[in-house]
Formats: sequence, C-alpha cells, structure tokens
Amino acid sequence: MKKPLLAIGISLALSVPLAAQAGPKEDFQEVYSKAQSTHQDAGTFQWTITGDRLKAAKSAADNGDYEKAIAMADEALKLAEESVAQRKQQKEAWRHVAIGN
Amino acid sequence: MLKAKVILVALGAALAVPQALAGATPEEDRKETVEYFKQMFPDVPFEEFVNGQYALNDDRRKQWESMQDFPPYEFAVAEGQEMFETPFANGKTYASCFENGGIGIRQNYPYFDTEKNEVITLELAINRCREANGEEPLKWKKGAIASISAYMASTSQGKPINIKVPDDPDALAAYQDGKEFYYSRRGQLNFSCASCHVQNPGKWIRADFLSPTVGQPANFPVHRAKWGELGTLHRRFAGCNNNVRADPLPAQSEEYRNLEYFLTYMSNGLPVVGPATRP
Ligand code: HEC
Repeated sequence: MKKPLLAIGISLALSVPLAAQAGPKEDFQEVYSKAQSTHQDAGTFQWTITGDRLKAAKSAADNGDYEKAIAMADEALKLAEESVAQRKQQKEAWRHVAIGN
Repeated sequence: MLKAKVILVALGAALAVPQALAGATPEEDRKETVEYFKQMFPDVPFEEFVNGQYALNDDRRKQWESMQDFPPYEFAVAEGQEMFETPFANGKTYASCFENGGIGIRQNYPYFDTEKNEVITLELAINRCREANGEEPLKWKKGAIASISAYMASTSQGKPINIKVPDDPDALAAYQDGKEFYYSRRGQLNFSCASCHVQNPGKWIRADFLSPTVGQPANFPVHRAKWGELGTLHRRFAGCNNNVRADPLPAQSEEYRNLEYFLTYMSNGLPVVGPATRP
C-alpha cells in the first residue's frame, strides 16, 4: 500500500522540474533571444523603442513576472521585425527621394 | 509622445517628393541641392543659409540678434584657446598636428584621408593628435573637445567651406554612404534626415522651426539653449536620430563621419560661422 503511494509521490516531485522545462521561463527565453537577434539584424536601423521593450522584458523576467516578460519580448520582436523590414526597404527606396539620383 | 507622432505623420503625408534629377557626381548633387533650396526660398540670400532657422523666420531671428552682444559660448571659446595653446606633457601642442598650426583650417574639415581610407573630422583629428602625443582622448560630444573645436572654428570665421571628394573610389563610397544615410528613413516614426530638412524646412514641428540641409554644419560646434552648453555636430545627429526613435550611432562612428562628409560637402562655398547659438 505504501510503496505505490511513495512511487506516485516521487514521480510527482520529479514531474515538477520536467514541466518547468517547457514553462514560462523557457517560453520567455525563446522569444527574448529571437527578439534580441532580430534587433541586431536591424543594424544601423535599430529603433529605440525595441531596446526599451527588451529592457522591460528582461527586468520583468528578473522579477519572476514571466507573463509580463513574454508580452514585452513579443512586442520587442514585432518592433524589431518592422525595423528589419525598414532597413531592407530603404536599401533602394532612398534613391527615389534623393536629390541628384 | 503620441502627439508628436501624429504631427510627424501629418508632416510626412504632406511631403513633396523632390524631383529625382539625374546627378552623378558630388558636385552635381550639390548644385542641384542648392538650386532646390534657392527655389524653395527665393527671397533668402544664399549666404544666409548658414544661419539655419534664423534665415527663414523673422521672430526667431530677432530673438537671436538680441543675444549676439553677449554670446553664451564666449567663455568656452577662450577656454578652448587656452587648451589649444597649452603644451602636452611631451612639450608639443595641438598646433604641431595641423596644417598652418591649426589656425584658419576649419573649412577644410572633414576631409577624406586616402592613406587611411576614412573620413577625418576635426574632432577626430583633435583626439588623434592627443593620442599621438601620449594624451588620453577627450569625450566626443561636449566639454573640452567642443571648446577646442569652437576655438578652431572661430579662427576660420568667414572662410568658405571647402570639402573635397578626391577622385578615389573609397572617397566616393564614403560620400555616397553619407548621402544614403541622409535620405534613408529610420526609427519607428519612419523619417529620414531629408524628410525634415529637405522636404519641410521653413515649417514648424511642434515648438521647433526646421532648417534646410544647406548651411547646416557651418555653425558648429553650437551652443544650444536646450543643452546650456556647446555640443558637437555628432551630438546633434544623435539628437535628431533619437527624435524619430531611431537608435543613435556612436559619435565619430564611420556612419556619422560619412554623414558629416556628405552634409558638409552640400555647404561648400558657404562661410564658416561657428560657433553659434541655437534654441
Ligand atoms: C523629425 C524631424 C527631424 C529629422 C528627421 C531630423 N532632424 Fe535635424 N533637426 C530637427 C529640428 C527640429 C532641429 C532644430 C531646428 C533646426 O535647426 O532645424 C534640427 C536641427 C538639426 C541640425 C542643426 C541645424 C543648425 O542650424 O544648427 C542639424 C545639423 C541636423 N538637424 C541634422 C540632421 C540629420 C543629419 C538628420 C538625420 C540623421 C536629421 N537632422 C533628422 C528635426 C529633424
């Protein structure tokens, strides 16, 4: 009687760290690092607001507030993607407005 | 914040795209640019463009003229002169690093160094001079470097800006790079330098009155009321980038030096009037 209970108890205890592996912290780290690398891809076209969101995401994560951290990192990623698109678009677009081209 | 964005978007919508004219050389670019602004402001004498917004707005100009008796940068210029003339620990001075002992040469900066393959701004030359003489470099945007640069500019007052793009593919590439920077939209607000200073000079943007491209660098370093002190051109670049929520680049980065190269070339022939004051 006692042994199976113990076994269940152990497996429950073990399942906590297992569950955490796919938990909010990991979710956060995934978006955050994607946002960071996309921000880098913007090169000289980085937006200040992307950096602000990244900082906010990081500090929320440091405080254990992963819900907010993920929301901020998501926003940062979206902004970073827009800045990368701007960079690509401007590669040619500037020529159409420059005087003397 | 939101208000600023709305105003900016409204301005953006009103942009008259300048006619894309075929220009191949920097000199053709410059002539077309000058022509563009002369047509935009037919009543403004060309030399007046060095006074930026004051050339275009009478009220601003009156406020500015009333400040000219006691310019707030006078003390900094005197300090700059003293630093300029004080020997380094090795006994040499700044004069040893510059043509003509550094006097009356501001109009030739920035220039393209065909050996080092890069644009040399006056501030970069000042710090390289220090380092060559065993001194620590100065911070780039304000303080001592702005004072020394202001003193050097003051010895060039009235001399026509004389930037050269030598017949060298790297020099031309640096110029083109600066031009691309000037016309590329940046930041969350999606504005290029040209959106404001080519397409909208003479217009208000919130409490500021926009100056035209031509003449812009002639008055640097500048004493701004907002700063309460002198600042360098790259400090201004950073501020203008920031205003459209684009991350500024480091002062004296290759990008900003190339930008300065292009921008100053556009002002060739106009007199050096730095240091000066701005709001
Ligand atoms: C959103 C509009 C805006 C954009 C975009 C912008 N600026 Fe400005 N800039 C201003 C305003 C406003 C001032 C202060 C009023 C004036 O002198 O035009 C100013 C001032 C300046 C000055 C000083 C002019 C003087 O007479 O002292 C320089 C130089 C300058 N800008 C360069 C740039 C460059 C280079 C860029 C692109 C990196 C840029 N600006 C982008 C709005 C803008």
